[in-house]
Amino acid sequence: MTEITHPHACQGLDHDLSRRQALAILGGAAGTGIGGLLDPTIAAEVKRKQKQVLFIWLDGAMSQLETWDPKPGTEFGGPFRAIPTAIPGVRFGELVPATAGIADKLTVIRCMSTKDENHSTGVPRIQRGDPKNRGVTYPFLGSAITKLLGPPDNHLPPYMHIKPGRGGYMWKDAGFLGPRYGALGLGDGKPPIHIRRPESLNQQRVTVRDQLRQQANRRFTTGRLDRFISAYDYSFDMARQLTRRQDLFDPTTLPASDIQRYGRHPLGRHLLQARRLLEAGVQFVKVTSYHWDTHGDNFNMHRVMVPQVDRPFAALINDLETRGLLENTLVVLMSEFGRTPKINSRCGRDHWPEAWSVMLAGSGLKPGLIAGSTTANGAFCQDAEYDIGHLFHTIFRCLGLDAKTTQYVNNGQPLPIAHEEMDVIKEVLA
Amino acid sequence: MRIIFLIPLAVALLTATVPQPVTAAGPLHADIDRMIETAAGGPLAAVADDTEFLRRITLDLAGRIPTVAETTAFLADANSSKRTVLVDRLFASPEYPRRMQEWFQVMALERRAEKSIKPAEWSAYLQAAFRENRPWNELVSRVLFVEKDDKANQPATKFILAAGRKGNAHQTTQDIARIFLGRDIMCSQCHNHPTVDVYTQQDYFGLFSYVQEQPVKATSEFESVFEPGKQTTGPRLPGGREVVIPKFEKGQEAEAAKYRPRLLLARDLPQAANTAFVRTSTNRLWALLMGRGLIHPPHLDHPVNPPSHPELFERLQQEFVTHKFNVRHLLREIVRSRTYQRSSRLPEGVQPADVPEHRFRVATSRPLSPEQMAWSLMVATGNLQRMITGKVPKDSPFDAYNYINGNVDRLPATVGETMELFSWMMGNPPGENPDEYNPAMGHALFLMNEELVLDWLKPRKDSLIGRVVATPDNTRAVEQLYLGVLSRRPTDAETRSGVKFLDKNTATRKSGLADLAWSLLASAEFRLNH
Repeated sequence: MTEITHPHACQGLDHDLSRRQALAILGGAAGTGIGGLLDPTIAAEVKRKQKQVLFIWLDGAMSQLETWDPKPGTEFGGPFRAIPTAIPGVRFGELVPATAGIADKLTVIRCMSTKDENHSTGVPRIQRGDPKNRGVTYPFLGSAITKLLGPPDNHLPPYMHIKPGRGGYMWKDAGFLGPRYGALGLGDGKPPIHIRRPESLNQQRVTVRDQLRQQANRRFTTGRLDRFISAYDYSFDMARQLTRRQDLFDPTTLPASDIQRYGRHPLGRHLLQARRLLEAGVQFVKVTSYHWDTHGDNFNMHRVMVPQVDRPFAALINDLETRGLLENTLVVLMSEFGRTPKINSRCGRDHWPEAWSVMLAGSGLKPGLIAGSTTANGAFCQDAEYDIGHLFHTIFRCLGLDAKTTQYVNNGQPLPIAHEEMDVIKEVLA
Repeated sequence: MRIIFLIPLAVALLTATVPQPVTAAGPLHADIDRMIETAAGGPLAAVADDTEFLRRITLDLAGRIPTVAETTAFLADANSSKRTVLVDRLFASPEYPRRMQEWFQVMALERRAEKSIKPAEWSAYLQAAFRENRPWNELVSRVLFVEKDDKANQPATKFILAAGRKGNAHQTTQDIARIFLGRDIMCSQCHNHPTVDVYTQQDYFGLFSYVQEQPVKATSEFESVFEPGKQTTGPRLPGGREVVIPKFEKGQEAEAAKYRPRLLLARDLPQAANTAFVRTSTNRLWALLMGRGLIHPPHLDHPVNPPSHPELFERLQQEFVTHKFNVRHLLREIVRSRTYQRSSRLPEGVQPADVPEHRFRVATSRPLSPEQMAWSLMVATGNLQRMITGKVPKDSPFDAYNYINGNVDRLPATVGETMELFSWMMGNPPGENPDEYNPAMGHALFLMNEELVLDWLKPRKDSLIGRVVATPDNTRAVEQLYLGVLSRRPTDAETRSGVKFLDKNTATRKSGLADLAWSLLASAEFRLNH
């Protein structure tokens, strides 16, 4: 696409394919057979663009001890047992039986060590992956990835965020990349208000209007600088695509069996909708669930809440695999830190960035792998420990991006996309 | 500002120099053309034809597209000085202060919320300033500080009280630097700017000290995150000298209470001697009309990002200072230039890639602001009068957020409500730099499906669609649509294709006319000031 000249332009993508080029190339390839005709570098670009991400954010922090890294029978173990998983010798907590059953499709990092124990700084630090305090606001992962991968060819908004409460355009996510890399927030899964076509218009008129509009733009473009015109056109393309996909936001058309499998609670509904969005080709889908900050009554709360992740998450991984989507979709399930091994006087667990777990699956990963380990009582990492920068390097690599050679340029200042002093977590990469 | 005379102060003498005299061979508009054309480096676009000029100048000075009557009258006018006559009429019209108020408001408030000063008071205050052509430095001084007992100027405090700034001296510092001094100094809060040598932490905290409310706070201590060691500074403008904070003795409590560093900022910042202020002010007014600053973007004025035309930039500043910050004079000279009146069409045989925008060889196209869009849509669809005289129904409060969420069971009924909706739907998010304004999917969805926009395309007695529905001849109807929406007559090809479309759909002519009108309203040609 003809990008608007922008001081925040990302140099790493200067060579990126234009949207029109990509379309033309794909169109041509369909006639002649994909293969030798494509320039290898262009083929790589096209392939990279097809990568998708599902980012599940459990805000407040789920306990690793009650889920992916149980320590039953130890001083901090808590009341729950551990159960076997589909990976021989590996055990998860008994609250996640469905996920344990598909552990051979998953990759768990058990030795995250991220240093920041405050929600207020931890949430942005983890989701923005702030490589360094540069005096700029780094983009959230969704904005970063949609910027770095380039626009997908389906013209759907590339970054959608399903969350409880209010939706709307979430421009702050984009940080220094500028508002257009923000998220389309879907409050309880609901789309923007203007996606609905008023009854006074029928679909045929909408199509006619758009054809006439495009005709007018073609005439106007001739003999003029194109700086703005194609970007304006693109915004209508995207709008049109979205209005055509009202089904993505209509819960009444979901099969009852899927609703049964995923659950009727918000996280179940939202993960089922995430599957739909991924199937439709949305590049980055984020699903947020709140209220995981269990400083009191940690165990009862986890007994109620964890199954609301376990079942739909396992169902989703299975569904993505069945549909052939898992290969090109990176799934990340995480929080801003873990929870303390030590159980406080309110039967709660507090914030614990020293040693916690992240769940990954899909694109670029070695399935059925548990990376790293914690000490017997779960308090600290044993041997390797990974910071958020390692995870960002790994996430980027799983999507075909090299964080060592790709950088942003903000107001002329080059900025790393991940911590310069860190690297990928090799052991989890396929 | 009597306080200044009560307390002995070292006046902030700036080391920066006043713009040096440059070769002023003639009136400013002639110098603009000479300097732009000398540096053009390639073929220049032709002078804009009357329709292109009329639309551009009306958008720039009245904030809306011309009416059909204005367009046809201007085209028919054989007077060779009709452009100058038009410019003078627009400057004298009540729409000029309104347009300037809308522009200044977006620049100054960046769509931040603020409830204590009523929008109407703030608008009226700014409109009066531009109607009376108050000097620019005076207006800037007022938005930086006014005394509590200065009732007449209270509306100006909206700038400082805006959400995000009130009680947040860092945000206030950064916004003042970016808006009025052309410096995006956010990085300098923690360290000297990594790539721009002149954006120092010392400067940041000099300004930070200036925005404080009490003398005890007027000395800031800071430390770079890169180099250890505490430093301090009192109020100081970038590149300027530190203001000495007076010591107040016992018995001077009254003076101490009145001594506010921000008052001194209002005195020291908007001065001819403050180069950064003069540069940024001049550049912003140039960019308002030319679609692009001589320094681009306007908030990055530093040696690594020099002006595209240094001599012209000096000349403009000199004129602005010599004429005592006379906004109307500067704008008038710019619009009189050939450079302003150039076409946005590329010269024959010239490829887009061969035309660097900063050479001003072709008129720069830029998107209409949300305010310009609202006014222009009302003018184009023939609904302006209806909205101006519209009454808010009794017991039916309106706010944009509730409206778009379906909690207001009626359409916006007045211009005010319409403006709120457009600002909400098409404006940048609050606090986002309005210099960077891009089209977004939400704007497209809004034009496609917003009931208000569709309502404006219904046939009414005086509306555009009402008029063309009553025009049986399709050729005339197409001409009316183009004149109404795009402020020009259709080309032969456009007439042919429009008539063909209407002839094909005789049974649905009414909706076909609305569809054609909509396609022109949603076109890039309408969305741009070109």
